[in-house]
Amino acid sequence: MFGYAGKMLEVDLSTQNIKMRKLEPDFAKDYIGGIGFNARILYDEIPAGADPLGPENILVFSVGCLVGTPFPTASRMEVSAKSPLSNGFGSSNSGAFLGLRLKGAGYDGLIIKGQAQKPVYLLIEEDKVQIKEASFVWGRDAWESIDLLKARHYGAEVLLIGQAGENQVRFASIENGYYDGFGRTGMGAVMGSKKLKAVVIRGSKPIVPADPKGVLELSAKGQNLIKSASSYQAFCSYGTMNATIPYGGFNALSVHNYSRGTLPDWKQRAGRQIVDIYGSRHIACQSCIIACGHLAEITEGKYAGTLVKDMEITPTVSYSSNVGLSTEASIKSSELCQRYGIDMSSSGSVIAFAMELYQKGIINKDDVGYELAFGDDDAAFALLKDISLRQGIGDILAEGVKRAAEHWPGADDYAMHVKGVEIPMIDPRGRWSTWTLGILTNIRGGDHLRCRNPVEILRYNENLYYYQKERFGFKKPMYDRLDMPDDLKSAAIDLENDTVDIAVMSKWAEDLINLYNSVGICIRPPVMETIGPTILAELYTCMTGIPMNPDELMAGSERTWNLMKLFNLRHGEVADDSKFPRRFYRELQSGNIVDEDKVQAVLEQYWQVRGWNPGTGHPLPETEKRLGI
Amino acid sequence: MDTRGIFIDYHKCVGCGTCEMVCSLVHENACAPALSRIRIVRYRREALNVPVTCAFCEKPPCLDVCPVGAITKNYETGDVSIRAELCIGCRQCTQACPFGHMNFNAAQGTAFKCDLCGGDPQCVKFCWTGAIEYLDNEIAVDIKRSSFADSVMQQHDK
Repeated sequence: MFGYAGKMLEVDLSTQNIKMRKLEPDFAKDYIGGIGFNARILYDEIPAGADPLGPENILVFSVGCLVGTPFPTASRMEVSAKSPLSNGFGSSNSGAFLGLRLKGAGYDGLIIKGQAQKPVYLLIEEDKVQIKEASFVWGRDAWESIDLLKARHYGAEVLLIGQAGENQVRFASIENGYYDGFGRTGMGAVMGSKKLKAVVIRGSKPIVPADPKGVLELSAKGQNLIKSASSYQAFCSYGTMNATIPYGGFNALSVHNYSRGTLPDWKQRAGRQIVDIYGSRHIACQSCIIACGHLAEITEGKYAGTLVKDMEITPTVSYSSNVGLSTEASIKSSELCQRYGIDMSSSGSVIAFAMELYQKGIINKDDVGYELAFGDDDAAFALLKDISLRQGIGDILAEGVKRAAEHWPGADDYAMHVKGVEIPMIDPRGRWSTWTLGILTNIRGGDHLRCRNPVEILRYNENLYYYQKERFGFKKPMYDRLDMPDDLKSAAIDLENDTVDIAVMSKWAEDLINLYNSVGICIRPPVMETIGPTILAELYTCMTGIPMNPDELMAGSERTWNLMKLFNLRHGEVADDSKFPRRFYRELQSGNIVDEDKVQAVLEQYWQVRGWNPGTGHPLPETEKRLGI
Repeated sequence: MDTRGIFIDYHKCVGCGTCEMVCSLVHENACAPALSRIRIVRYRREALNVPVTCAFCEKPPCLDVCPVGAITKNYETGDVSIRAELCIGCRQCTQACPFGHMNFNAAQGTAFKCDLCGGDPQCVKFCWTGAIEYLDNEIAVDIKRSSFADSVMQQHDK
């Protein structure tokens, strides 16, 4: 089979049974790769009511089908399982070199079933797969464990959990090497429940495209397109840190558990200039031509000696604004989260939640053991440790804000989550747009990362005015270049009045991002602005030899999205789960609240655009039939 | 005489590996870093990346140790090339190369090395950081000399 590795590896940790699953060409074409494969496998094989932390849950890692080409940013892989936070479809994406290595070992995906009796790790050396005893790394943090595993298995790629995953903290992450990870929806807790400490991968099999020359030409074309994006230079220099100032500018920051929208010293504390101060070398994922990551180093003061990759918006907003820490402490938080193996977004939200409860007198020093206050880094890191090791109050907070709030009367008002998954970063009271609807419609809940308007997000640092109004303000050349069918483009975007139909645009944007997560490319703005289904379909055809057109590709992505929705419905999601935390509807923030009726109206429009029942959000039979589910 | 060569600025490399993918695709019709002529050694914790490729030595050690004369140097073009049909797969050259550039294709049982893509190296074309350049010797040394001079100049300004 061209382009794909051609098989998936299935490991049952209960029975120690190791099997190969052949990849059927029809399955490959219908579900593309990455999140598409995960969705089909999870939908078919996890029974309703399965305990996310029990042996019935299945953890699937799938590599995007374009990984293994020089096409820019083709490096990503997706992990999915039933989420211990949302009880629905949990999923998280990561890049670096792991996807290429798994494909190089000969597998498009890795399916983990069952539960081991004792801690184990999985060693994959191409066709030789072994389940090995892991007591020498169990209990150790992720970085130490990587060093120990790499000492045994030279040159291997390692994905693993830290202590948080071992202790089944519901928002534990799976780490991908030292600096990358699958953060959201608690995939690390699922891996921990299976007593699987790590997967160590070696392999160097070639990936053979059907039309190598075509792949090379399209990769060159992809490089040129991305380089021509208006946000390209900014993202090469500062990565995601470009967005910190605009977030603060339009009052959409999650400050102190969403009690405020911005901080007076936000620009000094977290503007992109901090990359110039602490950052040094750029770090790329496989085949990336943006290299948005920076090595950040602190050379003096309390946190001297800290060396991390993440000079990124996630730890910055989570710890610098939500928990209120200093710039250096937020850089340190990256290291701690990666060592414990815990989601930077959720852990920051949980700590901020606890701090606000403390402030409001709902919990006190007797509950915690020490004082909690926004901005206190010692307290924040002590709490992070308690959560990761499930000590004291950390044992309750390790359940996530939704479940932890049940312990204290009145705490529910401060639990900022959607579908049980903590919301990082964006406050819809600051700005109501495609992004913010995306928090509600996101299958995995709790964030905006599966729905972004591909052209709206590009005016970072340009003119804040556009962010303060319900206007979008993109330029005509951008509109002209956007790879979107003409009829849809004119329905979604009103260039003259400078507005977007949020419902129509959200569906398109979700399908596009879901397509990226299927083929394995990155959602950085320079990519979103320039790479659409047309070039991806051409590349897919060159890579696999399977004829594919842009409409089929988008339909494949939509099929996956519907399957994930059906998964959620089967596992108990109801229409009311698509609601923001009450705070957004009730509490004024810089003069704004979210208008519940307006949100509901747009949500219902969106359901209609998706071909779902506008009252319940359930995919209609004709939609399922159209997509061949 | 062609005096161009590949010059690598280790500080510019971000480790994306596009060069490896392109090289294996061009030469082997497949994507695999292991089949690439140019290889990157990555220090992941320190985020330092060192691309390694053929230096096209004037006195190539690989040529010296080859027992069957499969490796030749063309002093007109500067190229050092290996004739796969003569190679007996003894791997002496892989040990002799001081950079570990000489690679070995286990499936075919022969050594393989950079051939500059016949004068238009594709890794250089795809390298977006400027870490790999194909330049005339004199220009390359001049760039190095100037960057050193710049640092002296900056000291002077202070």
